[in-house]
Amino acid sequence: MGFTRRQLLQSGLGVTALLLVAACTSDDEADGPAKQGGTLRVGALGTTARAERDPHANLSNDSDFLIASLVYDALTVPGADPTVAPRLASRWEASADNRRWTFTIAEGAKFHNGAPVTADDVVWSMRRLRSVGGASKMPVAENDIVAEGPNRVVFTVAAPNAQLPLLLRLMTFTVPQGTTDFAAAIGTGPFRLESYQGGNARLVRNEQWHGTPPLLDAIEVTMFDSVTALGNAALAGQIDLASNVGAIAGRTAATRGDLQVVRRANDTMLGVAMRAADGPFADARVRTALRLGVDRTALVNQVHSGYGTVAGDVLGTADPLYDAALARRDRDVERAKTLLREANFDTGRSYAFVTKAEVPGEVESAKVIAAQLADIGVRLDVQVVEPAAFYDSTWLNAPLYTVSWGTNDSVLFFADKLMTSTTNRNETAFRDPEFDAATAKALASSGAEFTKACHDIQRIEFERGGYLVWGMADGVDIAAAPVRGLPTLGGFARVQLERAWLA
Amino acid sequence: MTVVRTFALPLLRRIALLVALLAIVFVAVDLLPGSAARSALGRDAGQGELAAKEHELGLDRALPVQFWHWLTGVLTGDFGQTARGTSVGDLLADKFPQTLLLGGIALALTVTVSLALGCWWALRPTAFGARLLQPASTVAVAVPEFVCGTLLILVFSLATGWLPAVTITDRSGFPAGPEMLILPVLALAIPQIGWNARVVRSALLDVATAPHVENAVLEGLAPRTVLLRHMLPFAAPAIVAGYATSVGMLFGGALVVETLFNYPGVGAVLAGSVADRDTATVAAVVALTAIVIMMLLAVADFVRTWASGGTR
Repeated sequence: MGFTRRQLLQSGLGVTALLLVAACTSDDEADGPAKQGGTLRVGALGTTARAERDPHANLSNDSDFLIASLVYDALTVPGADPTVAPRLASRWEASADNRRWTFTIAEGAKFHNGAPVTADDVVWSMRRLRSVGGASKMPVAENDIVAEGPNRVVFTVAAPNAQLPLLLRLMTFTVPQGTTDFAAAIGTGPFRLESYQGGNARLVRNEQWHGTPPLLDAIEVTMFDSVTALGNAALAGQIDLASNVGAIAGRTAATRGDLQVVRRANDTMLGVAMRAADGPFADARVRTALRLGVDRTALVNQVHSGYGTVAGDVLGTADPLYDAALARRDRDVERAKTLLREANFDTGRSYAFVTKAEVPGEVESAKVIAAQLADIGVRLDVQVVEPAAFYDSTWLNAPLYTVSWGTNDSVLFFADKLMTSTTNRNETAFRDPEFDAATAKALASSGAEFTKACHDIQRIEFERGGYLVWGMADGVDIAAAPVRGLPTLGGFARVQLERAWLA
Repeated sequence: MTVVRTFALPLLRRIALLVALLAIVFVAVDLLPGSAARSALGRDAGQGELAAKEHELGLDRALPVQFWHWLTGVLTGDFGQTARGTSVGDLLADKFPQTLLLGGIALALTVTVSLALGCWWALRPTAFGARLLQPASTVAVAVPEFVCGTLLILVFSLATGWLPAVTITDRSGFPAGPEMLILPVLALAIPQIGWNARVVRSALLDVATAPHVENAVLEGLAPRTVLLRHMLPFAAPAIVAGYATSVGMLFGGALVVETLFNYPGVGAVLAGSVADRDTATVAAVVALTAIVIMMLLAVADFVRTWASGGTR
């Protein structure tokens, strides 16, 4: 039965994808062929105090990340299906045990100063990324990154890891070997840095780029401190694209004929982490009760202004292997109450529910959830803390808190990073031998075996995981009507502007 | 001796006040939850990395030691580094002139317009325009810069398209066109104009009953002459005190207005560094702003001393 359902789902996804492609194609045809030229004025969020020029450091400004992603090439970038697309690496192969990965540098890849990219440049950059950015940005140890010939780089990991090409997306920027000053921003990317001032930059087309040449002459990036100013700039026509401006500006722009609203599905997961190891939510029945107690549609409408989709407690909603038929959980107040009774859950006291204003709607989501769960007799005391304080004390420790994640196109990514017994980011303190086994199996396998393991992971998450994933927020960009070829994928794929053009 | 009493002592008092203020900033940022190391490294940083970063930033030392180290650095012109390793001095050199420009124009506009309105109001209290000033100035004082700015954007940019809604900078780091300054300056100046027009008017009305003014009027001098030569000089101390108050309000308001209009000043630097618990940057912004305000207050004091001394 499971197999048929999966097949059905996959064919369904395929049809959707075809329809999407068809929709895009017809759009493009209506405007004739893609046109070359013009300057795209982009606004992105960022603040001066956090401005960062070093592409391997913690780029917490959207504007800095956008600039880096256009000036430098990562080894791989996000795609729809498959979720990993080539960039500086044109292809990659794994050894049979998924431990030794060989990446081939794209033919004709050159730095902006004309020098060809060598394997040594890539090795030096990836090692630097590890030392500056840590294991979360480069999962491979410095000594395990080596050159093999002039244009191949080998990454060796201690344990099998089918995910390495995915983990090397976006941040793995290559710079010329030995670079210490990043002011000139010598990269290999589709655009060259022409000028930079206080977080704002002007980029011009790199005619020598190894990929399909961009169509835009230039991209001007302006940093915005607040979403309000970013939205106003787009509404007033001072910029052509407000990147990740959010649902509220999206609603305003939707009423205007001279603007388009780009909704990128599965952009941000906003959910709740329930501590599974101990404490009040350790009993899986209590967690299921909470999951049954929330009204997901109401949450998406109230918290995301309707710019989002309902989810069903499984992480990785944009993964082509995501089982949308499995991950459905409608509100059932009676069943939730019954489960709480069976688990002897103490409804006489209230429970701290910690949240922080980190992503849009996060605090609101906690308040709405607390109100909804009162219907099943669970009293939650919403506590809003500063994000910095949250990561110092609440995160990984408290029994109940809100969480958000921006990369949502891999079921296995979340399983491996957040839910195995050994991970250092186990937000729900989830320790489940069957889950660990399924994750290990997926990491070591490929093909049908990989697919099967990914479905086991989702089943366990749905049945007894610690996450309450009620919905996914769309990424909302607003753009002037003539802008074409904008990114449509969720998460950090929003920075991929190299295919944009102006009709 | 007079010089010492008039200038040196108040100056010393102000410097002591500034040092106390900066000490309070250090304590306040320290009391906030969270750490600069965590903000700089992100949520994935482990305890080891955090400890190393804290050591690098000197956050593992006692707070008084950190303060003393920072203060002695400032005296030699070194404002230290942000938690992300950029020079605070460079950061401020990059952004502070823009805030001075915005605040300076707003102050100039406040002084000119409120003087003109206040004089007119005092001279012709029954004119239609002057009658309007009573409610209008009250509203202007009561409306915060944020609301004022939002309304200006809605009316003059989004609805009519006459003026830009936000500031876009050019390669120099300054607004790309002078029209981008209009709305931020107005958002800052309108509440202050409302306040100071009232101050000017009441100061003038106070001196209007003075014997020498009544004398001048009885002698048949032109109203303008009476105003300029017999009233304004006597009202000056009160008026200048009003403007001195506005200086602080203008710089405080600039922080809000800069965010609203995406204006490239120190407001965003301050907001971001408070959020990041970046004490050195917060203290540097506070110090610089405080020094500018102190200098303007000293000018105000000087004008008041001069005005009251000269007319007595």
